[in-house]
Amino acid sequence: MPLRFRTLALLAALSATLCAASAVAQSDPQASASAQHLTVSLLVPPHDLYPGQSFAAGLDFKLEQGWHVYWTNAGDSGEPPTIDWKLPAGITAGPMQFPAPTRLPLGPLMDFGYENEVVFPIPMQVAPDTHSAHGPANLAAHVGWLVCREVCIPGKADLSLTRTLLSAAPAAPSVDAAGQSLIAQFQAKLPQPLPASDSAAFSTTPQGFILDVRTNSSPSSAQFFPLDQTVVANAAPQPAHSISGGVQLALTKDENIQGTPHQLNGVLELPTGAAYIIHATPGATTSAPPLSPSEEGGIVGAAALAFLGGILLNLMPCVFPVLFIKGLALVQSSQQERHRLRAHGWVYTLGILVSFWVVVAVLLGLRAAGRQLGWGFQFQSPVFLALMAMLLFFLGLALAGQFEIGLSLTSAGGSLAQKHGYAGSFFTGVLAMVVATPCTAPFMGAAIGYALSHSAWVSFVVFTALALGLAIPYLLLAYFPGWSRVLPKPGAWMEILKQAVSVPIFATVIWLVWVYLRVAGTGLALIGLLAAFLLLAIAGWFLGRWPARIGPGIVATVFILGAVALPVSIIRAMPPPHVETAVVFRNGSNVQIGAPAPGAWQPFTPTALDQARAHGHAVFVDFTASWCLSCQVNERLILDRADVEQKLHDSGVTLLRADWTNQDPDITRALAALGRSGVPTYAIYPADPSAPPQVLPAVLTPGIVLNALNSLPKPDRQSAALARPISQ
Amino acid sequence: MAHPRRTLSVLAAALAFTLAAFAVRVGTQAPDFTGTDSHGQSHTLSQYHGQYVVLEWTNNGCPFTRKHYESGNMQALQKKWTSRGVIWLTILSSAPGQQGYMTASDQNAYMAREHADPTAAILDPTGAIGHLYDAKTTPDMVVIDPSGKIIYEGAIDDHATTDPADIPHSKNYVNEALDEAMAGQPVAVAYTRSYGCSVKYSGAE
Repeated sequence: MPLRFRTLALLAALSATLCAASAVAQSDPQASASAQHLTVSLLVPPHDLYPGQSFAAGLDFKLEQGWHVYWTNAGDSGEPPTIDWKLPAGITAGPMQFPAPTRLPLGPLMDFGYENEVVFPIPMQVAPDTHSAHGPANLAAHVGWLVCREVCIPGKADLSLTRTLLSAAPAAPSVDAAGQSLIAQFQAKLPQPLPASDSAAFSTTPQGFILDVRTNSSPSSAQFFPLDQTVVANAAPQPAHSISGGVQLALTKDENIQGTPHQLNGVLELPTGAAYIIHATPGATTSAPPLSPSEEGGIVGAAALAFLGGILLNLMPCVFPVLFIKGLALVQSSQQERHRLRAHGWVYTLGILVSFWVVVAVLLGLRAAGRQLGWGFQFQSPVFLALMAMLLFFLGLALAGQFEIGLSLTSAGGSLAQKHGYAGSFFTGVLAMVVATPCTAPFMGAAIGYALSHSAWVSFVVFTALALGLAIPYLLLAYFPGWSRVLPKPGAWMEILKQAVSVPIFATVIWLVWVYLRVAGTGLALIGLLAAFLLLAIAGWFLGRWPARIGPGIVATVFILGAVALPVSIIRAMPPPHVETAVVFRNGSNVQIGAPAPGAWQPFTPTALDQARAHGHAVFVDFTASWCLSCQVNERLILDRADVEQKLHDSGVTLLRADWTNQDPDITRALAALGRSGVPTYAIYPADPSAPPQVLPAVLTPGIVLNALNSLPKPDRQSAALARPISQ
Repeated sequence: MAHPRRTLSVLAAALAFTLAAFAVRVGTQAPDFTGTDSHGQSHTLSQYHGQYVVLEWTNNGCPFTRKHYESGNMQALQKKWTSRGVIWLTILSSAPGQQGYMTASDQNAYMAREHADPTAAILDPTGAIGHLYDAKTTPDMVVIDPSGKIIYEGAIDDHATTDPADIPHSKNYVNEALDEAMAGQPVAVAYTRSYGCSVKYSGAE
């Protein structure tokens, strides 16, 4: 191809020399070239050039959807386009100018560039003393670029066009008006020097830089694009807030930067679209609150939601067993003095707090390690499930009366040492948190999604609010013993209640075993877990038959260790659950193999979603998991209801089920894109790919689903025609 | 589309923000890893304690990588340094289905055809090693000294192009770092922005 272009250019130049008049073509075909995924054109609007003239030329890239070319600092990968001119004597081209780019996230990386179309303006000059060579002037340029989507393709082209060089400015200049206005449109996006009245300064923090830019406005957001590479961590968020007469951004530094830069160079883009070239110097920056009012409002809102969600968690079915335990502990402690009650309340709160903090630390650590996880992910680990099932089974045995646990989770009676009592309260808190996790109830989903998409300390605040919400009912009871006086006096009935509590505990064990089966599979893994229960039962018998004896205690410990080791070692020996097993499970459970009937649920993949929308279908995605109780409830009671099912069928939406029982990065990403981090999540993606998806509440009613389907834009004529015979 | 895209970018940014906190830093101890090579052999970084180690991220479909393989430049570097006792580990962090993903037999055939001569080509389809080192592009080079310290991280040379004609007049940072370190001198250029295609991790758009 390049060869042919060169030949063409040569021919053009030749014919231009031979026949000057006809060479001034209105549109020169060789001025543009089609390459893979883009068309590149040279724009030189004036048809006539003359001495002393200055004008803007442009290099125009029209890109296929999804493909991009790069800014002058390409970011973490990629390279900017280059241009190398061959111009007649007297005509000079200035450097290519780069309009303000957009951020192009790519997994953990961040590139800076342009999608759809970009024109790089180029200032051109005709020297005032260019009187010697009049006639056709051939403007040629060798252009190179890198165009990327998932993959990168380098390209190059030789472009050229011919203009007429006059001896003086023409009376009536003729220009390519379309080209000129296109260039002007992108010139407007060029970053401007900061006005003399404005200033930019930065200070250094351990994490990076605080950048203060004084403009005459106080925008609450802005984006900084570093001109220098390896100074700022490109992908890091740039929290911004307005300061008096300007805007402040917190930038994260490149980990490998040595010392402090003398200048922070970059482009600052304001929400208005105005962009400024910044050369910030070290100086004092405003020590304003670290958050903008809007973001602060966001945090307060998210924390409030998390707090409410935490309170609601107390009512969730998966926390019920723990509620029983807590209630029991409360009854036992109602005879205690007020300050001890309070102390227990606080220790219980601390137990919840500490375990939530551990989780947030682990979550952030795993996220840092590059794994995207969502809430409830621990229920995707068979080891965790097995250990949870065993813990609750053992607890159930104790409650049923097989033995007494020294460090009783059911907390302190008056006879137990105070230390043990506090430990009991603490671990009751831990247990409440652990068991509460699968209930990503309405408030939790949004709050945690918010937290995980923000910085570490925001996550910390939200999780703390969640923990306090979970703890507050018990804490209040501890603080107002008047309320607990309503509770009955301790007596023989307590033993009966304790034994009765073992029933919901065993029910929870059954649920956990069911989830475990879904993740680890039947066969050896199941036998291993059941055998572990047997070992625990034997250990329990030793503890109950010979309480507080060293020998039987050791034997029991050995049995417990054996019980823990058995399923864990079997799981370790098994191949880790792969995507394949998830697919098999999905096919086996909810989805038919082979061509699905119209209106049937199909497994979710990003491709399936895109294809359906590309074919003009709206898509309803049910994000679910077998360990998620509220998901099952929604599916059985709402989505599978005859009228809802009929409506889903008639409205012609494509139904996709995203089964998150096992970890699936595609689904995690799709959830993240919706701002959610867990299931249940229900989303309706309109057929128009540019329209945002609608996320339905986590607790569905038939009305919610029907209204959402009714509010969808009417399908295009083709699919409407298809849908009509069905609905009639 | 604008909305989920923005959310996604916020999430990606948050992810990278925390990544940055753990990013590999020149002058610190190289994080240990274990990987399986194209011959099924397991390699642990710590087993090469006492030797220089070069990590090279590759993707044979990437034009920047091809610049160095089709010109023979990368193979020459591999031969030069492995013959002097340097451990050279080529790492493939492309996810299945992405450009540059290779099965073991594909990779062996490719290395035979290209006369590539690393100590081993480690298959990292989950991207675990890539994420551990925050590898951004192919090629991306890391040089580790015998004490296990990272002494260089970044680009292979100073010409961020896909044109093999640039190689003869490029300054090769890996050569410089190894030459200087072996001569007992500090490495003058210890960190550069690596250039090339983005590493095709699972989950990259």
